[in-house]
Amino acid sequence: MTVEPFIGLSALLFAIGAIGVLVRRNAIVVFMCVELMLNACNLSFVTFARAHGNLDGQVAAFFVMVVAAAEVVVGLAIIVSIFRTRRSASVDDASLLKL
Amino acid sequence: MTAFWLLAPIMVVAALGVVLSRKAVHSALCLAVVMISLAMMYAMQDAPFLFAVQIIVYTGAIMMLFLFVLMLVGVDKTDSLVETIKGQRLVAIVLGLLFGGVLVTVVAQAFVGPVVGLGEANADGNVHGLAKLLFNRYVFAFEATSALLITAVLGAMVLAHRERLEPRRTQRDLALERMQRYAEHGEHPGNLPTPGVYARHNAVDVPALLPDGSTSEISTSKTLRDRGVVRDGAFAGDVSVTMRRLEADGPERGRVEPPPSTPARHDGEEDL
Amino acid sequence: MSAVSVQAIVGAAPSPIEAPDVDYATISPLLIILGAAVLGVLVEAFVPRAYRFVTQIAVAVVGVVAAFVATVVVGAGLDTVDGEVTGRGGPTAMGSLSVDGPAVVTWAMLLFFGLLGVLLFAERRLDGGLSAFTSQASTPPGSADERHATRLRIEHSEVFPLAMFALGGMMFFASANDLLGMFVALEVLSLPLYLMCGLARRRRLLSQEAAMKYFLLGAFSSAFFLYGIAMVYGYAGSFGLAEISTAVSSQIGGQNLLLAGMALILVGLLFKVAAVPFHAWTPDVYQGAPTPVTAFMAAGTKAAAFVAMLRIFFVAFGGARWDWAPAVWAIAIITMLFGAIASIAQTDVKRMLAYSSIAHAGFLLVGMAGLTSGDGVTSVSAVLFYLVAYGAAAIGAFAVVTLVRDAGGETTHLGRWAGLGKESPVLAVAFTIFLLSFAGIPLTGGFISKWSVFAAAWDGGAWPLVVVGVVASALALFFYIRVVVLLFFAPPQGDGPTVAVPSPLTWSVVAITVAVTIVLGVLPGPLLDLVQQAGAFVR
Repeated sequence: MTVEPFIGLSALLFAIGAIGVLVRRNAIVVFMCVELMLNACNLSFVTFARAHGNLDGQVAAFFVMVVAAAEVVVGLAIIVSIFRTRRSASVDDASLLKL
Repeated sequence: MTAFWLLAPIMVVAALGVVLSRKAVHSALCLAVVMISLAMMYAMQDAPFLFAVQIIVYTGAIMMLFLFVLMLVGVDKTDSLVETIKGQRLVAIVLGLLFGGVLVTVVAQAFVGPVVGLGEANADGNVHGLAKLLFNRYVFAFEATSALLITAVLGAMVLAHRERLEPRRTQRDLALERMQRYAEHGEHPGNLPTPGVYARHNAVDVPALLPDGSTSEISTSKTLRDRGVVRDGAFAGDVSVTMRRLEADGPERGRVEPPPSTPARHDGEEDL
Repeated sequence: MSAVSVQAIVGAAPSPIEAPDVDYATISPLLIILGAAVLGVLVEAFVPRAYRFVTQIAVAVVGVVAAFVATVVVGAGLDTVDGEVTGRGGPTAMGSLSVDGPAVVTWAMLLFFGLLGVLLFAERRLDGGLSAFTSQASTPPGSADERHATRLRIEHSEVFPLAMFALGGMMFFASANDLLGMFVALEVLSLPLYLMCGLARRRRLLSQEAAMKYFLLGAFSSAFFLYGIAMVYGYAGSFGLAEISTAVSSQIGGQNLLLAGMALILVGLLFKVAAVPFHAWTPDVYQGAPTPVTAFMAAGTKAAAFVAMLRIFFVAFGGARWDWAPAVWAIAIITMLFGAIASIAQTDVKRMLAYSSIAHAGFLLVGMAGLTSGDGVTSVSAVLFYLVAYGAAAIGAFAVVTLVRDAGGETTHLGRWAGLGKESPVLAVAFTIFLLSFAGIPLTGGFISKWSVFAAAWDGGAWPLVVVGVVASALALFFYIRVVVLLFFAPPQGDGPTVAVPSPLTWSVVAITVAVTIVLGVLPGPLLDLVQQAGAFVR
């Protein structure tokens, strides 16, 4: 089983996630796109771990999941607190600060 | 590789769905599809532990948290398509496609060397192999993630938890307060009349009838009153409407005896 | 396609896992800070509200001071390592951390910034006896609940443990010896900062917005950093900086993976240090965040991220220097020029300081392009010196910002600062000293630090960068002088600025930072010796 298709897929997912972050306006969707990027990273880690024959990459993927879990809690807490104030989760509605 | 080629198109389509669907819930569901497919990819690549963790933590916990928040924020919100910065979307897409193209064409081909495979590393079992690294080589990073988790809990508490600043008001306090208001302002201490009392029927948008035949404003919910959808509770209105409808229906329906124009019964024709 | 075999999951008689061998004494500063953070969380749970704020201050201050003492002890006991470059100390904690000269100096620096930050956090005399943080972050701004909480004098003392976690993350980031540890450290330092950004007492909408922007862009950039790590892992098969360095110098092939990895890692780090074109978050976040948090963040994040960046690029990618150096050159040039030019257009003091921080990221990048070894000023020592001088001046400047107030809180509009020299000469002089240090005027720390990064770059053959750097400094100087003129000679608007009377906490921060800025300008010798003796990174 070769490595290239997996890495290609991971790169594709990462790029789609990155475009999503830049294009979407809803903070929650933007954040989901970031999660997509992190997942793409994990696919690379797992694939390279198999290619190199060591488990470090799998450990890395595990760490990324832990970090993502913590990040999601913090991020969603921030988004909810903003939503309580403005009743909107759009990035654009939050525009008191200059762009 | 059959499984890969089956899953990969699904994942790409679902990933595009995350980006393209206008409703946030659809994005979330597409993301869940990507994550479950990824779990299968992990299983294919000798990572059974990550396969389980991906499903339990990512799909089970993280995605559910996303969905909870979406429910809280309002699921039916669609995303605005208005561009705040002119041309930003086009530039972003072009840049993103270039970036993706470079990544896919250059990076994917760049790996050299034989694929070793995890046969040896997984000799004692995948979980055991991971534990060996986690509790030895990466033990400090592992401990540091506890700081992350505490920060996350603290953050959620700070931003979302509202502490009760006053003692909770008991039934007794509320009753006393109500009687106080009655004594001072003459405000009625009992329950408000329910909608539909003595009226022709008991739907929530039909106000109660008072003994003198007039309607009671306070018997319907304020929301309905503000929206202006409260129906006329008095009989006469409905009856005349029915009469007109019957007359308009033509001769064969006209044979039906028109109901008396005075309210003699409490159940109207709609109940029949 | 191999299916997952039962054997792979269950395994036959597995070999035992060896217990990790960790030298706790060497990493004690880090453990003390993280311990203080955990203790702070417990204080939050068990100490009655009336004593909570004071207890938190005590825990944080004692923790930072104890960690500082431990750092000094650790630093004094480092062995000298003679490799191709002289260094001190080495990897510890199973190779996760590299406690070497630069790491120990950075720890001391970060702890110093942390102490100043905690003192600013603790200031309660400016806002009617309440701290700069919101009473209850969960209440909507302007709501009755919020006013009620304020009336009851409730405070978020959780900011102290959060600051300690951020500080611990910064220290970990500056000394991590593998890319995986760096990623975890990056998040440990970022998450508390995202949270603290949203907790301002005044202008809460702005503050929440700053938190969301910082969070979304920060998460985006750490995804890039992570993908870069994945690429480098694909190239080298390991996360350890030493192993990557070996792979890079032996040219094992697959250079594209390495190039992509380096580029993505650079993007992630440049975001954290606020270099152009990854700077867009900086002015908004600096403006929206509570000013004490801005001060702590401006000094601490920059220091930790720069040291980590130097460590990755000098230790792991040192063999591929000619692949990354051009990118660093280009970014240094645009960052210096953009920072200097954009700050001229600012009318808000906090935004102005943010753009100045962007420009300083450019100067620090010039230092990165300098000599890696030698007897003179090396990149590492120049950057370390620069970070101390810049961090002290930045914290001092933001401390002054907390003091110039009107009825609505801090007045950050530059026009309202006109005539500060008459209202409070001491404060105006202090702010002038910080600005002159930013501008790099002789007899301030800023001059020596600019001189040392330029010297390192010149010796390293990066003379075009030095030329651009001098031009950018001259541009910035024009602006800083304009602000100084405004402070002392412009007629005040209306009643002029009012200066709140702070407690000794803020005064001591201003006094300490002024003293450090001047001492580093007049007597830079001891610190220069220290950073040069720290030597190079040890892998």
